[in-house]
This record gives sequence, structure tokens and C-alpha cells, in this order.
Amino acid sequence: MGQTNNDERTPTLLDDMFSVANKRDQAALARLFDHFVPRIRAFCLTAQPGSNLMADDIAQEVLIRIWNKAHTYNPESASLNTWVFTIARNARIDYLRKNGRYQTGIDPDFLWADDEDENADPFREAQQKRDQDTIRASLKQLPSDQRQVLAKVYLEGKTHKETSEELNIPLGTIKSRVRLALNKLTVIIRR
Amino acid sequence: MIRYHPSIELLTEYSSGSLSLAKAVAVSAHLEHCKECRTQAHKLELVGAELFSDPAIPTSDQQLNQLKTNLLSKITNGEIESSFDKYGQAAPSVRMSKLQSGRPLSSESKYQIPKSLRQLIPSFYDDLKWMSLSPAVKIATLSNEKDGTQVALTRIKAGAFIPSHTHTGDEFTLVLEGAFSDESGVYKKGDFISRDARHKHKPVVTKDAECICLTVTEAPIEFTGWFTRLLNPILRKHHPSTS
Repeated sequence: MGQTNNDERTPTLLDDMFSVANKRDQAALARLFDHFVPRIRAFCLTAQPGSNLMADDIAQEVLIRIWNKAHTYNPESASLNTWVFTIARNARIDYLRKNGRYQTGIDPDFLWADDEDENADPFREAQQKRDQDTIRASLKQLPSDQRQVLAKVYLEGKTHKETSEELNIPLGTIKSRVRLALNKLTVIIRR
Repeated sequence: MIRYHPSIELLTEYSSGSLSLAKAVAVSAHLEHCKECRTQAHKLELVGAELFSDPAIPTSDQQLNQLKTNLLSKITNGEIESSFDKYGQAAPSVRMSKLQSGRPLSSESKYQIPKSLRQLIPSFYDDLKWMSLSPAVKIATLSNEKDGTQVALTRIKAGAFIPSHTHTGDEFTLVLEGAFSDESGVYKKGDFISRDARHKHKPVVTKDAECICLTVTEAPIEFTGWFTRLLNPILRKHHPSTS
């Protein structure tokens, strides 16, 4: 079962986070590097193919943040994957702004919160874990066209419109594929 | 009670980080008002987190060893600082320092400026450079983006209306203070309204208070009345999509 694997994996990374926070454990940081850096680099390279410089820069930012902020991480508020994902996402937005893709005077720092500590509680932790298990299982069942558009939006950082232009598929079709996918993952809470 | 929210598409683009910064200004200012959308945005982040943590990616890569050795010693020795470690700190405290410097409190200080707008509105709404469109309607530009999107504030006196107009591109409006209505409904503080190019409307502000709205427009609005049409060249001149 995939879930058993995951149950064994997650506590280890969590333990490492606490060792980094409380014992300044360098070996734990190295294990977090091994797990997250390949994912952070893949996340960057899929948005900007060939841009190893950006990938390394963002990996560095995330690792610094893990080292400096591990004590602020609260597992009752967000899973470690989510915490690292939002840091990597924010670092990527920041990088792209500084390097001209967005051409803007707006500073993204106050527009995306790293993680919300709002209503952190053990109940929420359990609920999030259930949500994530559902999302993980449902992602595997998604038809490839729906998974493709989700990957474009989340991993490549494309808007629906950019996805539509790139795949040469009408915008309405892209929107409905994303919506269908999100419905299957049961992440839409209203309407 | 907030009744009008950003679409799931917009929240998805926000959560994935693909939304343009101008549009993200409007969405994040709405999120400050709306717990429901914050919860929704957070759920959408879980999707990103799952895709991001794909187990198919090998966890150890020989090529990364050099980066690893180099980086870890620098980090643990405190030799490199984060270049974006501004998150989580209080937004610029310009407002506070103005207050402390003995500036007389204007009637404006009753307004709380959303955190995500403070970088664009360093002190009070009154201190912005307002351009009068009519005795009752003023506009202040907050940011002209290179992609042609404009972030601006519209300020309308109590009971006044904006003359009938159409939108030539997508427009988002967030009610920051007061309320207004049009043919489709009544919009109050925190409500987020999306309009596209086909939409024509004539908003009227409620009689009890002035209304301040944040607008993010891809193209200038166009007035459709006989006399108000004369304003269109001015609006075009000030909009980044046409300059």
C-alpha cells in the first residue's frame, strides 16, 4: 500500500524538522535537502526549462528558510509538504518578478502568506491529513487530460489562459477540465 | 456578510502562484476580508503540495552533491542570508510613523487599509493623487503594469453614480469601504466582483456613505452616454494598456 510508505516517510521528515529546530542538527538538514531539493528543482525547471541557476537559487532560499524557521513550523497548521510547497511557490514568484518575467512594480511579499496559523489545532491536522490522502488517491485516478492541465497551472505556473494558448485548446475547455479535476479531488468547498 | 467572491479559477491561479501580481493584489485583499475564501485557497494549495511532492522524483541525485556540500556548510555557518525573508513581518509601518509624527488625525483614519494594499497606499487614502472624473467621482492610480493592467482606486460620493459604461477587458472590483449597487445586485465591503468585456452597467453608491473600491482593469472602461463619452480619451490616456 502506498499509504503505509507515506506513513513511514512523513514522521521521519517531521522528526528531522524538529531536530533542526531544537538541536540545530546538520544531518537532519542534509536529509531534508535530499528529500526536498530534487522536488524544488523539478518544480522550478518545469516552469523555466534549462534554468538551473534559478532552480539552485530557489532551492537555496527554501533550505535557508528551513534552517532559520524550522521552529516556526506548526504541523497542526499545515503539512510539511504544504509548508515547503508554499515557500517554494513564493520564492519562485519573487524570483520571476526580480528577473523580469512579471515586469511589475508590485512586491509579492505581502500578497501570498507563507502559511496561515489560523485555527491551528489537532482536529485541523487530522482533517488536512484526510484531505491530502483523498487528493493523493484521486490524483492517480484523474484522466490524463485533467492531470495535464493541473500540472500546467500548479507546476509550470501557467494561468488558464496561457495553458489554453499553449495547448491550443479553447479557454472554456481548460477551465472546465480544471474544475472537473478539482471536483474529483473534492477540494471545492462551495457552489 | 460577503456575498460575492473570486471564481474558483482565480483562486486556483492565486494558490498555484500563476496569477499576475496586479490581479493577486485584488484577490489577496479580498482574502483578508473573507475566511471562506482563505479556507478555499488553502485547500487549493494542498493540490499544489501533492503535485509538488511527487514520489516519482528520485530523492538522491549524484549531481546535487556539490550543491549540497557547498550549501549546507554555508547555511549552518550562517554565511548566507535569505534574500526574500520579509514574509511574516508586519507590513510597512509608514502609517504608524505618520501618526506618531504628529500628523493631525483626519476623518480618514477611520479607514483600515488592507495589508496587501499598504505597499501601494503608504499613508491615507486622502494622500493619494486623485483625478476627478466628475464632482462625485475620483480615481487614483496605484500601479500601471507593463502588461497593460491597471490597479486603481475609485472613490464615489454617497448617493452618486458612475455614468453608464462598458468594460473593454476583464475587470475586478473589490469594495473597500461603503457599498454600491447595479442592475445585478448590491455590493458591500469585502465583495469581489468580476466583469468582462461584454458587461455594461451603471453603479450607484448607497446614500449613507461614500464608496471606495479597488479596481484591477486590463483595459480602460468606456462611457456610453452622450456627454460622458468625452471622458473616454482621458481614461485611455491614463491606462497602461493603451499608452
